[in-house]
Amino acid sequence: MKNSTLTAPTERGMTAEVVTEPGVRSVSKFDIRGFAGRAARQGGLLVVIVVMVIGFGIARPFFLDSSNLMNVLLQSAVVGILALGQTYVLITGGIDLSIGSTVAVTAVCAGLFSHSMPAIAAIVGALVIGAICGLVNGLLITVTNITPFIITLGTMSIYAGLALIIAGGQAVYGIPVGFENALAGGVAGIPIPVVLFVVLTIVSALVLKYTLFGEYLVAIGGNSEVARLAGIRVGQHTATAYVVAGASAGLAGAILTARLGAADPTLGGDLLLTAIAATVMGGTKLAGGDGSMVGAAFGAVLIATLTAGLTSLNVQAFYQQVAVGGVIILALLVDQAARARKS
Amino acid sequence: MTDPVAALEVRDLTKTFPGVNALVGVSFAAYPNEVHTLLGENGAGKSTLLKTVFGVQRPDSGEIRVDGIVHSFARPSDAMKTGIAMVHQELSLVPQMTAIQNLVLGREKSRSGVIDWKEARRRARAALAQLRFDAPIDVPVARLSVAQQQIVELARALSTDARIIIMDEPTASLTTAESERLFTIIRELRAAGKAIIYVSHRLKEVLELSDRVTVLRDGQLVGTRLRSDINGEQDLVQMMVGRDLAAIGVGGSATVVGTELLRVENLTVPGVVNDVSLTLHRGEIVGMAGMVGAGRTEFARAVIGADRASSGTIYLDGKKVTIKRPRDAIAHGIALLTEDRKHQSLALDMTTASNVTLMAPPARVGILNRRRQRIDATDALKPLNTKMQIDRPVRTLSGGNQQKVVLARWLRTDSDVYIFDEPTRGIDVGAKGEIHAIMRRLADSGKAVLMISSDLPEVLAMSDRIVVMRRGRIVAELGRSEANEEVVVHHAAAE
Repeated sequence: MKNSTLTAPTERGMTAEVVTEPGVRSVSKFDIRGFAGRAARQGGLLVVIVVMVIGFGIARPFFLDSSNLMNVLLQSAVVGILALGQTYVLITGGIDLSIGSTVAVTAVCAGLFSHSMPAIAAIVGALVIGAICGLVNGLLITVTNITPFIITLGTMSIYAGLALIIAGGQAVYGIPVGFENALAGGVAGIPIPVVLFVVLTIVSALVLKYTLFGEYLVAIGGNSEVARLAGIRVGQHTATAYVVAGASAGLAGAILTARLGAADPTLGGDLLLTAIAATVMGGTKLAGGDGSMVGAAFGAVLIATLTAGLTSLNVQAFYQQVAVGGVIILALLVDQAARARKS
Repeated sequence: MTDPVAALEVRDLTKTFPGVNALVGVSFAAYPNEVHTLLGENGAGKSTLLKTVFGVQRPDSGEIRVDGIVHSFARPSDAMKTGIAMVHQELSLVPQMTAIQNLVLGREKSRSGVIDWKEARRRARAALAQLRFDAPIDVPVARLSVAQQQIVELARALSTDARIIIMDEPTASLTTAESERLFTIIRELRAAGKAIIYVSHRLKEVLELSDRVTVLRDGQLVGTRLRSDINGEQDLVQMMVGRDLAAIGVGGSATVVGTELLRVENLTVPGVVNDVSLTLHRGEIVGMAGMVGAGRTEFARAVIGADRASSGTIYLDGKKVTIKRPRDAIAHGIALLTEDRKHQSLALDMTTASNVTLMAPPARVGILNRRRQRIDATDALKPLNTKMQIDRPVRTLSGGNQQKVVLARWLRTDSDVYIFDEPTRGIDVGAKGEIHAIMRRLADSGKAVLMISSDLPEVLAMSDRIVVMRRGRIVAELGRSEANEEVVVHHAAAE
């Protein structure tokens, strides 16, 4: 800013006092308080996860085996990656109901691609297909101005149908070992999906906090009219969020195909709801304008831990569903109570 | 005030928020048959006091008495039961519902769950007739003017048989004529034995309307005075600010009116702006007066491309420019500081730093420099004489500080043309003077300023030239010397 005329004191003797938090240098490198507040919320989730692990470990000692714990993380990876993608969209104040169906489409595509392409090309192909699904959502939403809920409700059905059409109504088998190893193998004993999940969580958290894209998504979700009047390309950034969500679904689809050794065109519905649950548990507001990538990742891990733990206790799948739903609601109640006390 | 029992009395009310003493041992009393004004700068504690009295917040200590009986309100409905009603600053009507529906909302008379609309209509009509409401009662209130909506709100308050009526800045968005009507109604309510607690920043109307005035500053009681003991606006200002403020309404006139900067020709937005042409020169402040709904805001929005104009040409420095969206206006150095801060200017959950730098966050290849962002925001706020925490969400700031955040944001862009839409609405005297000073300095530094305002004294004091809009057209252009209140009102209201 070069308008030096404005900094001239007036006859009233304007004093410059911009107070920042006490005890911290007026311009510190990190936003300590915001960081601590967010960490506290996510710390809460982490505590719940640790308590669960210990509890299940007491009941079933094998639960604490490193191989079992790694398996829990592996279970959480697919939902976690989807939850990260969904978080981008939720922050803008939108929602993507089609990511489950996008997983189905891309899983099938990855399977078919893997028959004729090198593994890496098949993976990239799945990512691109996913991104295109997201782009269609994004364009429909920003061009028509119809609410994201309705648009993605429509594309959810369209993509689910496309998955079945492409797959010819049945699962795609005969996935080459090379493809399976590329995505379901391990690096230094850690399964690749887990590595991807962790890396994407960190990258997404940084994108949200330290890029213009992240800052603009928060502004758009906070108030899109404000963002527009501030000259932000609202449509472009919003559409990009859906592309990111679609691409993350593409990666999830490819991982699933590699892990299962087959591509099932009917999967998706469960994944969508679990991913949204993980995102919301992590502190992302459905109304937009506020969200946490690390929170979404923890949410996914929490749900996977609970499911695995209940399985280890031989709880039937039907009851597991009930328990997971209960925990989701409970987590949000606790979060709400904590926030009410804070304000 | 001969009545020994106050309708509403608070004693030693204290309320502390983390780091802030919102109220410190405040006592005051409102009696039947009086209009008692609460006055204070933003952040002085008025809102906290009202919220406490109305049961929105619990005080840390102190007591609230209604008709001499101590009450403890856990929620607004407790306060309402004792006869307290509040007309909110931001209207609390359901916009899609009609006046009738809004009036009976929550108190509908029904027979086995079926609402008796005949009875509701009768009640609504009676309540509204009392207040001389002249708009249709069965269209959604969203289609009524703000003034009419306010009367519906007031009617709803009265229909609960309230005896203590709290009005929080009711005239903030009313025109002079509408305000006058409201004052008549308030005087009638006073005559009918109600105790009215009135909050306003407009000192002139405070003097006109009040029987007594209580002033708060920094959460503490400065004092309560009878109207007859108050010697003009300066007296009130001194109590509010704690010092003599010679500089309210900086006024002043352009030192040098320079060359033409912005020229708008034949701008039309169907239905709201009709063939408007306007030229702004460097160095001048042009005031735009008119009634609410005259098309002033719509004109400004069309100029910056926020709304689509059906025709019209814009020239900057004599060159024709194309502005299709706000982004283009910003690129051309045209800034609009919107009227509705909450909904059009601020992302409330984002921090002050983010909001100030929203227009152009400091970044390289898309990577945001958070440290630089805080420095930039701090620098931009520096000339605005303000204390705020730049890491807190702007939601937590007072109205005056929120306006300063918006100001800082646009000053940081160093635009050439500044359009202010109702820049000081709902802002206290001190902050108002500062904002006026900033506008004048912008003009003095060679920028062009267009100030849209419904505050006539402000328009008269600040403008080098005044244009008046009525029904989408500019109906008058007045030089500084030919403008006075009557002339402007005449042009704004003439049929």
